[in-house]
Amino acid sequence: MLACLCTVLWHLPAVPALNRTGDPGPGPSIQKTYDLTRYLEHQLRSLAGTYLNYLGPPFNEPDFNPPRLGAETLPRATVNLEVWRSLNDKLRLTQNYEAYSHLLCYLRGLNRQAATAELRRSLAHFCTSLQGLLGSIAGVMAALGSPLPQPLPGTEPTWAPGPAHSDFLQKMDDFWLLKELQTWLWRSAKDFNRLKKKIQPPAAAVTLHLEAHGF
Amino acid sequence: MAVFANFQTTFFLALLFLRISQSEVLSEHLPLTPESLKISINSARQYLHVQWTVRNLLYHQELKMVFQIQISRFNSSNIIWVGNYSTTVKQNQVLHWSWESELPLECATHFLRIRSMVDDASFPKSTIWSNWSSWEKVDVQDSLGQDTLFVFPNDKLVEEGSNVTICYISRNNQNNISCLLEDEQINGEQLDPHVFAFNLNNVPFIRETGTNFYCQRNKTVKGIVLFVSKVLEEPKDFSCETQDFKTLNCTWDPGRNTDLRKHASQRYTLFEFYSGEKKLCKHKNWCNWQITQDSQETYNFTLIAENDLRKRSVSILFNLTQRVRPMTPFSVSFETVSATNAMMTWKVHSIGNYSSLLCNVELYGEGRMIQQHNVSVKVNGEFLLSELEPNTKYTAQVRCAYDKHIWKWSEWISQSFITLEAAPSVALDVWRNVKSKPGSQNVILFWKPLSKFHANGKILFYNVVVENLDQPSRLEHYTIPAPANGTELSLDQSSYEIRITANNSVGSSPASVIVISGNSTEEVEEEKIKGTEDGFPVSWKPHSGDVLGYVVEWYDCPQDQLCDFQWENVGPGNTSIVISSDAFRPGVRYNFRIYRISTKRIAYLLEKKTGYSKELVPSTKPQVVMNNLTPHSFTLSWENYPTESQPGFIQGYHVYLKSKARQCHPGFEKANLPEITDDPLCCKYKIDNPEQKRFIVENLQPESFYEVQVTPYTSAGEGPGEAFMKVTTPGEESHKLIRILLPMIFCILVIMIACYMKSQWVKEKCYPDIPDPYKSSILSLIKSKENPHLTIMNVNDCIPDAIEVINKPEGTKIQFLGTGKSVTELEFTKPAYLYLLPTEKNSSSPSPCICFENFTYNQAASDAESCGHVLEPPFVPPSQLGLVTSSESLLKTLEKSYMNSLEEIPAEETNLNYVSQLASPMSGDKDSLPTNPQVPVHCSEYKMQMAVPPCLTASPLSEKSSLSSVTLLDQDEHFH
Repeated sequence: MLACLCTVLWHLPAVPALNRTGDPGPGPSIQKTYDLTRYLEHQLRSLAGTYLNYLGPPFNEPDFNPPRLGAETLPRATVNLEVWRSLNDKLRLTQNYEAYSHLLCYLRGLNRQAATAELRRSLAHFCTSLQGLLGSIAGVMAALGSPLPQPLPGTEPTWAPGPAHSDFLQKMDDFWLLKELQTWLWRSAKDFNRLKKKIQPPAAAVTLHLEAHGF
Repeated sequence: MAVFANFQTTFFLALLFLRISQSEVLSEHLPLTPESLKISINSARQYLHVQWTVRNLLYHQELKMVFQIQISRFNSSNIIWVGNYSTTVKQNQVLHWSWESELPLECATHFLRIRSMVDDASFPKSTIWSNWSSWEKVDVQDSLGQDTLFVFPNDKLVEEGSNVTICYISRNNQNNISCLLEDEQINGEQLDPHVFAFNLNNVPFIRETGTNFYCQRNKTVKGIVLFVSKVLEEPKDFSCETQDFKTLNCTWDPGRNTDLRKHASQRYTLFEFYSGEKKLCKHKNWCNWQITQDSQETYNFTLIAENDLRKRSVSILFNLTQRVRPMTPFSVSFETVSATNAMMTWKVHSIGNYSSLLCNVELYGEGRMIQQHNVSVKVNGEFLLSELEPNTKYTAQVRCAYDKHIWKWSEWISQSFITLEAAPSVALDVWRNVKSKPGSQNVILFWKPLSKFHANGKILFYNVVVENLDQPSRLEHYTIPAPANGTELSLDQSSYEIRITANNSVGSSPASVIVISGNSTEEVEEEKIKGTEDGFPVSWKPHSGDVLGYVVEWYDCPQDQLCDFQWENVGPGNTSIVISSDAFRPGVRYNFRIYRISTKRIAYLLEKKTGYSKELVPSTKPQVVMNNLTPHSFTLSWENYPTESQPGFIQGYHVYLKSKARQCHPGFEKANLPEITDDPLCCKYKIDNPEQKRFIVENLQPESFYEVQVTPYTSAGEGPGEAFMKVTTPGEESHKLIRILLPMIFCILVIMIACYMKSQWVKEKCYPDIPDPYKSSILSLIKSKENPHLTIMNVNDCIPDAIEVINKPEGTKIQFLGTGKSVTELEFTKPAYLYLLPTEKNSSSPSPCICFENFTYNQAASDAESCGHVLEPPFVPPSQLGLVTSSESLLKTLEKSYMNSLEEIPAEETNLNYVSQLASPMSGDKDSLPTNPQVPVHCSEYKMQMAVPPCLTASPLSEKSSLSSVTLLDQDEHFH
């Protein structure tokens, strides 16, 4: 028993979340990122409804689920559960950051093509919020000591289809962009919730920490 | 000459030969069949494009030719279209021709061939068709890719209302393909085992992102977007104008927007005919055109609107000087603003060295236009606005136009200003209310605030100057700050002249004069008037004397005399006025006083009027009192009924009488009220005099039952009354009997009062106190006679055996107040006897005591059993009793229990047994029984009686708990 306690005390400084000596750590910024993710989910729900109506049927039909043909360049949010579980924090955050970087570029392209001023306003507002999420993720990564992925020069993703790309296929791409964005936000909420629980120490651990000081 | 003629003939022959031989060459040796056919398709516009050449044309030869073209679909024998194309052909020229296909060209293989014919007048013999070229095939299906389902045409642009054919190619034999236009499934026509076509007629515009057509098979979705554009409209309201002769600004209404997300092609071009210049406009509804310096005066503009599908144009021709709209003036300001004038200045943008503008100035006050002026201006404009009202806010605005030809005015520019104040222009409307007191008079002055129009500024205060007319040298000044609308003055009985002025920052208004005469005690009769919906028509008799005018005064809310005192001035020629006010309410009595104003400005009361704007039914019930009841009549009176405070003039009363008689009494009539039934009969008597508040109901039957009610009524109807009063007339005998009985009762009462007053005397006479034998006067007489044989009876002569103490607990539950324990187990089954005198066994000496039982005080001895709730002393076990009885705590406990028991005993059960007591044995030792009295000397004395509850008198006296009723009292409570 004493040996166990000694082992815990030995490893205590290695747990970042338990070293709470004034620095709040990444916990609050993770919480904020999580909150922002949930807010964006809500915001996107409204925006996607408007935009898909703007594209017309069948894109605005709730059960429309076309094959993912021309949207191969979009970062895919769906992932095998086991693979997702096996991701470490750094990789998880990196994937989030990269995905939103790409999605933000595509979304800006979408905004440029929108014909109505109201839709352009909504898209611009969402882009600003998404930019905020990207910054928030970068903040969490910095707090956890993870470097930001550097984009390769000249590989800036664009949403400019080729001349042979028919408008129907482009609408399909728009549909998939919004769908992937929705899935990514859902996945990010899971990611940050998991990260939040992992980083924030349970109450028992804090008690142990305090007792250790007294001891 | 002949040589020349021969030469000429030879030349013509040669030429003719050459011409003939050439025709033969064309017809015989040059077939002119189209060659080198190349076919291509334009998918976006669904054009089939073909190019070819015609060989065998001579150098510099130019011929008119007709080409016949045949187009087949799916196979060469299925010819779907034949047409001719005429053109002029040169040597080695590549000819082009296009054909628009309704069916998307990707959905079918097309074949094309051409043949030609010379259609030139120079070669009439050549008008025969050449041979057909070989069939040229165009098929793009091989280049579509590996997919199994395709839909065409891609992103086709059509106008609203067009007909469109859409097709799909399926490389799979499965036929479970469904196609939808937006969200509606449509059926197609099978053209080929793999090709279906859908004809859409009159396609509508749905949205800017196009109309979606898609086909799906299992999870495969393929579709196209059909861009349906609105039809481009001709621009409307096209016009051009200049503000500065430098730039022409042309505007128009473009109509519907035909742009789509992928086809934003709607554009406008401005073309000027005289200069030949053209400008592509950046905006869809306006365009600027720079005026050149060569002073072109006339312009002919053509506005061309076009998109990918259509082109429209509209033209205007105008002279530049007739299209001038100056810029909005600026720097509007007001200088030297006075109470009635203001100088307005402004500036305009110059439009040329010798040009001037016509400016339009408008002045607004209180939302409406007051003045309008035209001013000619070059650069700086100014105008004097006059006839203004003091202290008033005005708004002035100005606009300008080109004075040579007013095409359009510039925009307005406006500015506000306020004129300065001036002295109030009119006198105040003043009235007074005089209340005379003995030796003085209280004058309340009222005035109506000046209207904004007359105040000419903000009224700061009111000046009141009071001059005693009897002593002209005395003037009193009062300053009343605004916004007061009255003041109160206490004056003596002299006559006074009061002058009131309103003052603003500039000056005073003319004075209003009122004269108060010292003796104004006129009394006039009040007259009733009837109000109407328009108000109260008040009229009075004209006065023949000196009349300056009349004043009618009233209160808007008569219940509160300080509320809204109102008056109205009437000219001397008028003797009537309709007083109307929004404050008038139905059911409220309004009093009007009409005054005559003499030329000396003294007011004399002429008439008084009172009335209701609308009378209501009475609101209060009369309190009816009945008296003078006899077998045949009784009197009803309601003297206190307030007729003046009713919501209408009380016109009288109705007396209702219900009886079991079959006919109404004389003077009564049958009441026809819906709520009153005929059984019993209800009759009504009508009293017309509102001041008659007493009524005698007569002709009644003795010993009969009547019901009676009194209700007031006004012109609006009958008011409420108290509930019917029930009356039973007495019999005639009982009436007489009452006359006898009443005096008798009175006499008895007098006697009883007299007896009460003389009670002491009665007591002495009827039941005197028991005399004390020792103090008897007889005793002194006996002693004086010194008769030794005569003595007073000795106490030894009366020996009581015992005193029976009645004890009847009968198992009553008794509570220990201190402990709360039940003491039902404390039963006293045998009667207790208190032996006051020693028995023979215990007595050592004869008892010296004598006792008299005073039955006068033994009031409740026989009611002892009525004390059901007997409180016993707390039960104390014998073992503890010894400890308690020796201490004072026991006494206190017992005393407390006793007091509590008193509280618990009901009032009717707290009867007391007054037991006569002999004091001597117990007075000194309260803890011991008087078993052995030692001092018998005092026993012959009477003791005061002691009040003991009957319950306690029944306390058991045993040897252990030998606490008699006497022991419950402290020694101090014994009264000697």
